[in-house]
Amino acid sequence: MAAGHKPLSDLLDEMALKILMIEPGDLSIVGELLDLTEKLLPGQAAADTPMVIQRMAAAFKGALEKFIMGELADSAENYDFLGQCITEMQESARKEGRPGEKTLAQFCENMRKIGVSLQPSALLGDTDAASAGMSEAAEEAPAKEVSVVASSQSDSTQVQAPAAGGTGQEALPDFLQDTDLLAGFIEEAFEHLESIEVNVLELEQSPDDQDIINNIFRPFHTIKGVSGFLNLKTINRLAHATENLLDDVRNGKRAMDSAVIDIVLTVGDALKSMVENIKDVLQNGPANYKDTDISSFLVNITQLQEGGNVAPPVEPVAAPVADLSPEVSEAEADEEAEPVASEEAEAEAPAMPTIARAAQGAVSSRAPQQPASPAARPSTDSGQKKIGASIKVDVEKLDALVNAVGELVIMQSLVRQNKLVSRIADAKLTKDFSQLTRITSELQRTAMSMRMVPIKQTFDKMIRLVRDLSKKSGKKVDLIMEGADTEIDRNMVESIYDPLVHMMRNSVDHGISPSADREKCGKSETGTVFLRAYQKGGSMMIEIEDDGEGLNTQKIRKKAIERGLVSEADNLSDFELNNLIFLPGFSTADKITDVSGRGVGMDVVKKAVEKLRGKVDVQSQPGKGSLFTIRLPLTLAIIDGIIVRVGTERYIIPTIAIQESMRPDRTNYSTVHGRGENLLVRGELVPIIRLYEIFGVESTNTDPCEAIVVVVENEGRRRALMVDELLGKEEVVIKNLGGLDVPGVAGGTILGDGRVGLILDLAGVIANKAD
Amino acid sequence: MEAGNVAQNLGQGAELAGKYLTFSLGNEGYGVGILSVREIIGVMEITAVPHTPPYIRGVINLRGKVIPVLDLRLKFSMNHKEYDERTCIIVVEVQGQTAPVQVGMVVDSVSEVLNIAAGEIEPPPSLGSSSETENILGMAKAKGEVKILLDVDKVVGEGLLQQLAS
Repeated sequence: MAAGHKPLSDLLDEMALKILMIEPGDLSIVGELLDLTEKLLPGQAAADTPMVIQRMAAAFKGALEKFIMGELADSAENYDFLGQCITEMQESARKEGRPGEKTLAQFCENMRKIGVSLQPSALLGDTDAASAGMSEAAEEAPAKEVSVVASSQSDSTQVQAPAAGGTGQEALPDFLQDTDLLAGFIEEAFEHLESIEVNVLELEQSPDDQDIINNIFRPFHTIKGVSGFLNLKTINRLAHATENLLDDVRNGKRAMDSAVIDIVLTVGDALKSMVENIKDVLQNGPANYKDTDISSFLVNITQLQEGGNVAPPVEPVAAPVADLSPEVSEAEADEEAEPVASEEAEAEAPAMPTIARAAQGAVSSRAPQQPASPAARPSTDSGQKKIGASIKVDVEKLDALVNAVGELVIMQSLVRQNKLVSRIADAKLTKDFSQLTRITSELQRTAMSMRMVPIKQTFDKMIRLVRDLSKKSGKKVDLIMEGADTEIDRNMVESIYDPLVHMMRNSVDHGISPSADREKCGKSETGTVFLRAYQKGGSMMIEIEDDGEGLNTQKIRKKAIERGLVSEADNLSDFELNNLIFLPGFSTADKITDVSGRGVGMDVVKKAVEKLRGKVDVQSQPGKGSLFTIRLPLTLAIIDGIIVRVGTERYIIPTIAIQESMRPDRTNYSTVHGRGENLLVRGELVPIIRLYEIFGVESTNTDPCEAIVVVVENEGRRRALMVDELLGKEEVVIKNLGGLDVPGVAGGTILGDGRVGLILDLAGVIANKAD
Repeated sequence: MEAGNVAQNLGQGAELAGKYLTFSLGNEGYGVGILSVREIIGVMEITAVPHTPPYIRGVINLRGKVIPVLDLRLKFSMNHKEYDERTCIIVVEVQGQTAPVQVGMVVDSVSEVLNIAAGEIEPPPSLGSSSETENILGMAKAKGEVKILLDVDKVVGEGLLQQLAS
């Protein structure tokens, strides 16, 4: 990771996203946040990071460390303040490191609310003042760094060792004897654990389904077997105990109730983090080994086994979670039906062969998309359908193939458009050409589809999220997923996860009201959240719909007027008003939750989606619910763009950002002090950017009213780009500029005539103009 | 053998001996190590890239790959010359920040591949400021002419790095 070169704003965006993900009690994200913050510290930050921000980061880090040490309350409120601190850092970054006093004062105020005293002057003033002012935060930082960060940093070997201390020491060397097998086990274990989760959640739908219980039992059995063989004693003991418990369930000795399910889920989590740790050990040396205390699990399990209802009886199993749509559950039923026959034998099989197969499976035959369907995993062994035969291919090779096919398509059109060739009036040639076109487009489609994976993997994680959220908040929520088989560019899968989590959380936390309130409104007591994915035109759509409160449009309007985002006189539609929640200034500045019932951090979601060149909006009906729609391009490799001409140069503007284009009327054109040019577009002043000016090229027109302007929107900012001519619309393959990194240019592409055209990066163009 | 001794005296001449692709800029002859040359192509239409130093002429489409092109005349602060049918782009591969990158260099004309022995290589002259000679590996006297041997990594790498920093 070339972290040092990551632009400041990206780092801050990432931090903003992370803080939204934090749940009280979840320190691992605090660790990740700490890692990010450290990239902004004096001495480590990129050279162009403003000092103010470096000092803010130092203070921020101090606060984070206090969270980890437990000196500060691990409460949602405090994380809100931290979130606001990041907003103020972003604000400072936007202003080129010269934030107003107000921003700094707010930053300090938020820090103070958390419990870190800080003077604004310390952030601004000379270095002496800074170090003095930040007394607590800054001075403690270096001293504590070593011990505190340990859990989150991989290079903290020397620190971990003493912590692991007496308990873990003797277990160390045993399992490191066969690292190949171990690596295989780790991969395998992750898959098994994931399948456990999916199956458990399914079980809540049909508690008596023996097949599902078997599906849960088997992975524990395998993990037990392999971990025993590899001498992973702790994992073995825990898996063994859980297996015994599940065995009782299988044999009908006790019912599969929610107490069992809860313990299976928590054990799954614990096993996951233990395997995670083993992986860490494998990569970074044995000193990273952590011994996990599993005694409490063992006690719980034994208690359950002895039949005592020791754990307080939780609500009946039927309570929350996923009501799978007919098509999904049907598909899964199919997958499950198959392994039944073989599973008995498999479960009873002695440990050794299982290990051999497990290890082998991990090394050799994993299909790239296999993790997407953990439920189908067991069926591969018995040679089942669904995943046919597949091979693992290097992503680079795949990219090269996609590139080459893109070129083929372009070359073909070059040949076709050749003047001599196009003059040939031969029926055979015409026929051959159309045949060729058919083959190349088929080839292109296939090449593209190789990079696509079903979104199921991401959706499956939401089942657990909604389950946990609804348990925690005491609301009853059904999650209905549709179109989990819709395919998405594999490069997008990870980037879409965080925004999706945040939006789901928003829907459950704020969208759905408590059962009592719902009944008052005449709704069923169980709220429903729909999560849908489908393709529409050249886009992938993801919808999150809830049947909750809906947005309070009037309150949003009031808030927006207070914040000066719209004026009293503005006549905005409800749709426009609702979508104000995506504006940066709107949602994060203070706790909007009470006001609108929605909106904390929605600007972060919007940013993340826009990075993927997508769009997000919300429709809401008061009292009935709201619908968030994310529109994403099907792939990141191709961009849909409008080709414009400026002088002799051609540029490509991403279509998704374009609102309209026109030849401006002189009456709508105005200047400020003879410089800042504005255009009145549908009642709104939009600054004009002369593309030829910022790119330093000759232009045919220098008068905006004789040229064409293209109105674009990026991160909520509208600009009118002045160009000479619109040349057409094309889908182009994005390529990097071979080492050049230019502000305002996202990349290059090869146009129909074989020349290179530059793709505009609107964020860069707009920032460039602002300088 | 004798040549080897001379090279020893010169310090690094022996390492520099080998095959060089020679080309001309104005009246001067230059050489680049043959191992870094990928191919030679005729000059083609170059797409200008904004916010880059003048000697970076832009990017070209090299069989579906977009690569930057720099003009060696402008890089060495020589007069610009209109491109003609003898103008060539030498595509070289250098180590980029993460992976090898290909970069095109515009030259007046490409001459030939010369085998230059260690004894024919002399250290670069001092031209006063070091910045002008740091691109130069050495001077070779071959076939009665002086060829300036360029350090491609420095010429290209530095150009790109400068550009990245700016």
